[in-house]
Amino acid sequence: MSEDWKDQGWAKQFWYSGKTTRRRFIGTGAATAGALGATMLVPAPWRAAFGQAKPYKIGTLQPLSGAAASGGKTALVGTQMAVDRINKMGGINGRPIELLVADYESKPDVGRRKAEKLLVEDNIDAHQGGFLSNVCLACMPVFAEHKVVNLIGVCLDTTITTTKCDRYTFRTFDYAPSQAVGFAPYMTSKLGKRWHIVYADYAWGQSTKDAYAEQIKKQGGEVAGTTGIPLGTADMTPFLSKISGNFDGLFGIFFGRDGVTVANQAFDIGLTKKYKWAGDGAIAESTNIPAQGNKIEGFIGINRYIPVLDSPLNTPAHRKFFDDAVARLKQIDPSGPLPDRYVQSNYEAMNALKVGIEKSGFQGRADTPKLITALEGLEMKEGDDFPQGDKILRKEDHQAMLRQFIFEIKDGKHKIIEVIAASNVNYPAACSFT
Amino acid sequence: MEIPWDIILIQTVNGLVTGMILALVASGLTLIFGIMDVVNFAHGELFMLGAYMGVVVLTTTGNFWLALVIAVLIVALLGAAMQITTLRPLLGRDPLNTILATFGLSLVLQNYALWQFGPVARKIQEPFTGQFTLFYLQYPWYRIVIAVLSAAIITGLYLFLKYGRYGIWIRATTQDRVMAQAMGIPVPWVHTAVFAIGAGMAAASGVLFGPLVGVNHAMGLDWVLKAFIVVVVGGMGNLGGSIAAAIFISLLEAYASIWVSPSQAIIVSSIVLILTLLFRPTGLFVPTPK
Repeated sequence: MSEDWKDQGWAKQFWYSGKTTRRRFIGTGAATAGALGATMLVPAPWRAAFGQAKPYKIGTLQPLSGAAASGGKTALVGTQMAVDRINKMGGINGRPIELLVADYESKPDVGRRKAEKLLVEDNIDAHQGGFLSNVCLACMPVFAEHKVVNLIGVCLDTTITTTKCDRYTFRTFDYAPSQAVGFAPYMTSKLGKRWHIVYADYAWGQSTKDAYAEQIKKQGGEVAGTTGIPLGTADMTPFLSKISGNFDGLFGIFFGRDGVTVANQAFDIGLTKKYKWAGDGAIAESTNIPAQGNKIEGFIGINRYIPVLDSPLNTPAHRKFFDDAVARLKQIDPSGPLPDRYVQSNYEAMNALKVGIEKSGFQGRADTPKLITALEGLEMKEGDDFPQGDKILRKEDHQAMLRQFIFEIKDGKHKIIEVIAASNVNYPAACSFT
Repeated sequence: MEIPWDIILIQTVNGLVTGMILALVASGLTLIFGIMDVVNFAHGELFMLGAYMGVVVLTTTGNFWLALVIAVLIVALLGAAMQITTLRPLLGRDPLNTILATFGLSLVLQNYALWQFGPVARKIQEPFTGQFTLFYLQYPWYRIVIAVLSAAIITGLYLFLKYGRYGIWIRATTQDRVMAQAMGIPVPWVHTAVFAIGAGMAAASGVLFGPLVGVNHAMGLDWVLKAFIVVVVGGMGNLGGSIAAAIFISLLEAYASIWVSPSQAIIVSSIVLILTLLFRPTGLFVPTPK
């Protein structure tokens, strides 16, 4: 920069005339501060015009400490990946996303309190996140009360989009009834007719068990018995030991560390050799497999997402998502895990929110009805925003329908056995918005 | 109604195995309380850190037994450091201070593990994978080994306390701290050693139990609550009582699960706790106070 300014009249007068008194200096400083402050207070449209767009404030509730922290950490990777990509591409309608992360410590009461804080103090425009079903259920009325759109990222409890559905909550991924519709025909035709269901005894596990029991019966099969095991039971063997009798397959519904525990201990007492071993894909998530070792070999499951690059997941969009997720997961876990369905569903839920905002011209909470209208019936096309595949967000219950993968674990890796199209996992909507 | 003897016998084995693991976790806890009057809320995290140390050493050496020994030593040293830096300055203060301090430590250790090792659960490969037939089940030998090893470690601790020179120091400190100090026993160092032994026992149980569950940052949470119940039911600070309570509660839960759902069966321990607090607050397995 040139030094010419020193020779100009105003500078000479200011600095060299000997008239720069403390009063003048403070006065000039105050005027400068005032001008800066005024700039900050200029209404958003003007600021946008000057290139300082007001960000969309998006909240995300995740369990980053406590019992479910492992899942929360990977789920947050998905949300953060989507936000970074959106901001890198110039934001939504020219406005960046400001992500406000709240840790609910894996507790429903804390979740509800943190949701209130995001809504009242942080004044978020929308929410995308949630991991534990009981926390999602506890927080849904809070979002509804404040009339803020809530895009769930992981919670799978069926009632979220059935008996407890509300106009503000959307689930852009699958739920148990539609997975059961997709998996039960395979189970009963290829694996066996009689099943014993062992499940995590809480909101998600119970509703998933009911969904599979219904579909197994519909396919001419039979549920010989059920065993519900409380969340966080470290020694499941006394409960698994009771499972015996004349049935073909053992069907497991667990996630996270309970998924690791059931796989290890069911194998140890010979259940997975004696019976066909199948279940919800959450048991054999990529983040669980290292701790299950060879005890999960041969497990057959269903999942919306598995970390493979085989057809039909051998698309450039999925590879891009996969590579980015692997790099980011490596940063939070030195063992370098592959992405799981929690990364995928959070990533896609945030992108669905982006598409909804673009489509509706949503500016803030006042436009929530427009955003809801845009999201209802939203068609999500396979591509960079939705690498898992096409999906549609039903208007009737805010539940997405999407394709599923039946897989087997072989040599510690997922192998696709069958791909079930979204049209073949349809389950009638059972929600009435009040 | 026909009595299902096969299931009763299977559940007896299960109850004894679970009881011995629980006894090992609880004995460290009760030892620390008995000597130091410290309710150690970080005990579950020492269990978890032991398992992680086991993973690290096992990955490096490939030897499970070496991993068990080294993990115990490392966590015992960590326990000693924790006691010197965090608990020793609080000696003589309101017990609430130590509760808050150990609770804070538990949060720090849990989040440290999550940060250091990441969210993916790790595996400890058991040293052998054989099974034997137990009625309709293939029962893993490793579970029996865990129970036997737990019993051996607890017996070793008992013999050390009963006959070892330093064990006598520890018992003297338990009986009368001031008199022990007057007799020349270095009470602050006894406290440190006891905390280290308790931490080492938690680490041993973490390594031994790791192969059954996978190692993760929250694995201590699942055990420590039940260990606290066991310590209260057995009589706070009473080693023998804690062991008896651990086996008693585990057997009750195992038998209950024959007839009721697991969710109802695990309530048994809470019921025993409530009844103990109501009718025998000093603990079920201690002599009636005169």
